[in-house]
Amino acid sequence: MNAIASLDSDIIAVLKGYPDATQDQLIPILQDVQARLGYLPREAILKISDHCSLPVGRVYSVATFYNQFRFRAPGRNHVQVCRGTACHVKGSLSTLDTIRDHLEIDNEQTTHDGEFSLEVVACVGACGLAPVLCVNGNVHGSAAPDTVRKTLSSYRAKEKSHAATR
Amino acid sequence: MPSTVAPGPKITLDGKFFHFTAGQTVLEIARENGIKIPSLCYHRKTGPCATCRVCVVEVEKMRGLQASCSLPASDGMVVKTHSKQITEARKCVVELMLVNGQHNCMSCERNGSCELQDAAYELGIEAPSYIVNDPVEPLDDSAEMVALDRRKCIKCGRCIAACNNVVVNEVLELGKRGSQARIICNDDLKMGESSCVQCGECAQMCPVGAIIDKKSRGKGRSFATEKVNTTCPYCGVGCQIALHVDRQANRVVRITGREVAPNDGMLCVKGRYGYEFHASHNRLTHPMIRKNGKHVRVSWEDALDYAAERIKGIVDKHGPDVFSALGSGRITNENNYAIAKFTRAVIGTNNIDHCARTCHAPTVAGLATAFGSGAATNSIDEILEAHVLFVIGSNMTEAHPVVSYYVKRAAKSGATLIVCDPRKIDLAHWASLYVQHRVGTDVPFLNGLIHEIFKNGWQNETFLRNCTENPDDIRKWVEDYPVEKASEICGVPVEMMRKVARALGTAKNVSIIYCLGITEHICGTDNVNTIANLQMVLGHLGKRGGGVNPLRGQNNVQGACDMGALPNVHHNYQSVNDPRVAEKMARDWGVPSVPTKPGYMLPTMLHKAQDGGTKVLFCVGDNTVQTEPNMAKTIKEIQALEFFVVVDIFQNLTTQYADVILPDVCFNEDDGTYSNLERRVQRLRKAVEPPGEARPTWWIVQQLAQRLGVDLRFTSAQAVWEDMRRTSTAMAGITYSRIEKIGIQWPCPTLEHPGTPILHLDGKFTRGKGLFCRTDYRQQAEPPDSEYPLILSTGRRLWHYHTGTQTRNSVGLEAMFPEELLEISEADAGRLGIKTGDMVAATSRRGSITLKAWVTDRSPLGLCWTSFHFFEACGNVLTIDAYDNVTKTPEYKACAIKVTKVADGTSPKALIARQARP
Repeated sequence: MNAIASLDSDIIAVLKGYPDATQDQLIPILQDVQARLGYLPREAILKISDHCSLPVGRVYSVATFYNQFRFRAPGRNHVQVCRGTACHVKGSLSTLDTIRDHLEIDNEQTTHDGEFSLEVVACVGACGLAPVLCVNGNVHGSAAPDTVRKTLSSYRAKEKSHAATR
Repeated sequence: MPSTVAPGPKITLDGKFFHFTAGQTVLEIARENGIKIPSLCYHRKTGPCATCRVCVVEVEKMRGLQASCSLPASDGMVVKTHSKQITEARKCVVELMLVNGQHNCMSCERNGSCELQDAAYELGIEAPSYIVNDPVEPLDDSAEMVALDRRKCIKCGRCIAACNNVVVNEVLELGKRGSQARIICNDDLKMGESSCVQCGECAQMCPVGAIIDKKSRGKGRSFATEKVNTTCPYCGVGCQIALHVDRQANRVVRITGREVAPNDGMLCVKGRYGYEFHASHNRLTHPMIRKNGKHVRVSWEDALDYAAERIKGIVDKHGPDVFSALGSGRITNENNYAIAKFTRAVIGTNNIDHCARTCHAPTVAGLATAFGSGAATNSIDEILEAHVLFVIGSNMTEAHPVVSYYVKRAAKSGATLIVCDPRKIDLAHWASLYVQHRVGTDVPFLNGLIHEIFKNGWQNETFLRNCTENPDDIRKWVEDYPVEKASEICGVPVEMMRKVARALGTAKNVSIIYCLGITEHICGTDNVNTIANLQMVLGHLGKRGGGVNPLRGQNNVQGACDMGALPNVHHNYQSVNDPRVAEKMARDWGVPSVPTKPGYMLPTMLHKAQDGGTKVLFCVGDNTVQTEPNMAKTIKEIQALEFFVVVDIFQNLTTQYADVILPDVCFNEDDGTYSNLERRVQRLRKAVEPPGEARPTWWIVQQLAQRLGVDLRFTSAQAVWEDMRRTSTAMAGITYSRIEKIGIQWPCPTLEHPGTPILHLDGKFTRGKGLFCRTDYRQQAEPPDSEYPLILSTGRRLWHYHTGTQTRNSVGLEAMFPEELLEISEADAGRLGIKTGDMVAATSRRGSITLKAWVTDRSPLGLCWTSFHFFEACGNVLTIDAYDNVTKTPEYKACAIKVTKVADGTSPKALIARQARP
């Protein structure tokens, strides 16, 4: 209940910055809400639709057109697997498959414990290091299948030790 | 710009010259001139989408192929519509479509009526040249009426344009992009869980088999069914439909909208999908007579002999005025005329009325007084030409959905929509200005607006001077209603009243649309007159896109009035007490005389039953018990009748009290005509054989008359129409053959007359000059008090019609709205400890019903709302038998109730999701 209430108040706080919004402000609003929440929950789509007097479908259509918007809560660690040309040639498909198996999630999903989320991206601009994996924006080059488990475990450990010190 | 005398622009298509009008696209010109260009995304109603690229053509001096659907023609353009290059390009596009999907003509509903199949066939594509094994998305079968099969979707976008721009229900969109793009409902919900109201426009517009009418699956494809053009049997819009009939099964298996006036192909969920009632097992199929308290089947001979003998016996003994008849807004013009003629010429009384009494009688009376004609002044399609739409007391998205499509479309394309309603109805979402006035305060609200308009000099002085009789009176009368005072009574903030007055007063053109929120009050006629006053002050009468437009409720309630199923007028509104009319009718009907004393109005007929003033009631297509206010009283009155005949298509609350029940035919079992809310007389055609021994009303009337010694010469519906037409100047020019393809709007005095889309043209009123009538605020008959603290207002739901006999006997409508709800505001519900889904008892001084609560911001503080569709929890158990003093129309819109919680319950979520825009 509290989580929902805080979600609502976050969305409302963003919308307050856009009085009398029309569809021209739709994308900035979507960006702002995502910046604040990390993703666009259903409540946000509905509230934005109401605020901008736009059909829900239109808001959702615009949001899903762009790759930058996410619709599920990201994990504490966000994993991006590059499937660009160079990475593909260097075997990124096996890297991706390994991660899928390891985390038991598919593209655009989050693990049950909320630890990891997975996103397949087109190119991160680090082709020289292919195949490339990004976790929370940190680039891991030469991410062969046999190394990714370790890489991911290190983030899990980091997260845990961080929690312990807190 | 000076006008030019040069001939219009020309274009060359495949070596031939064609004239065109500026703005036309190449595709439009080609279609107009019979040149076939395939196109899958373009449709006249949705315009060019330019996504499918099948309509490409070669244009001289332009590089590459051009999509003809979005290419505006220019003078001197030279176009080739067929060439090797074009064919190759089209083939490639169509093949890609076939590849990217699972098109299986063998099992497809659209086989034979599929535009993709046609294109493939014409281009000679036998089978796609390769196969893509993309993952298959399962069929979305979650909705009741429409199935969405994305495997067959070609992503042309027509359904999206139809949903958003044609019917403006705003559900469908395109989600994601590129190869992942797909049609979505709202934020990618299953259709059955979305806000989709199942109007089916997308299914009608889909060029392939991706969106289909679910109930028609496997019941016969287009080539196997016979199409019968007819008129929708639901509301007063009078949509033109094509029945797809399976002759062998004697059933309608699908309905599509015809792209002609008034609906241009659009329909609502009832009109498109509420058709199975005609073949329901519950239909009345044989005459029945009450014997020892039980209805037993008898032959027509016995039933008619018995009825005639009883009627004759009672009328001979007590005189003709103990006989009363009820026509109906749900039966044809012919049948209403037949009943009226029977009552007047055979029985000899004017005691004939029908259900307009309970809805728009104040319109007929009020507008006839003000303008000289009691009908809507303008046509439905003119809504798109209004600059300001003033909608008051009309929940049109539910009660007149197709009119609401026009209104929403106009609002979306820039018209100012002003919605005034005590409830925050769905239409308010599209409004520029939404006014929430208190129930029953229309007179002070409107008078306040008129006052403000005069105060600012926004009145149309020329119109007032030239076209109205007493302009100085209205100026004086509204002095009592400055906005500050009006605001206090109606509860609308002064600022809002000023805004509305300004919007109305400064507009180039205003169309006023209203419905039962105006008429169903004890001051109904005053309300109508106030609206007429407002529009005469604004002066937007007698021109396109303006007018005073009441939305008549039932399919033929306009016609029932036109046909003289009223106690004071014959057909064509000829007064019964005018001796010249009486003489004319007696001569034409071949009877010694016709009665000249106006008859009883419906409530009086019933009321008089208790003191013996009414002994016989002949009731056709009117479920009186469930539709009249104060049900307990209505039942007592009906039980007091000596002889009660009911002609209907189903058993209902009323038939159980009948001495004789006669089975009627329904809308697709006989010929005839309905007149819609824009006065358009439209054909009804026989498409199937009636069940059992059901017979048309005119036949029943003819048989009864014969037994009473008069031959009315009714041999067919058309014969009845011709009989009526002889003595009706407004209908004189309307014959069955003239309205074969499209209906004609009366008045139509001669066979050459094109009909009258706009009444009172140029402000020349039917009565001469327009008449202002004084109106003053009157409180509702039963204001809330400490014992009954809430106000109950009643109305209609999208999913049901009248007393539910048709909609509840059709597949799927009941599933979408299975039980009645009591709408109540959050504040009231909170105080009473009620949440959505709880069972509550709503009690008035007249009765009590138990139903589920729906806590909603549609209801303002102090106001509850329900309908009368369900006999199990019918609003009319509660409503008050207080009447408009002119027309005796009951105050259905306001009575006092109390609400108490009976039991906890859970919220019927899906059901409520479909009620409102998400």
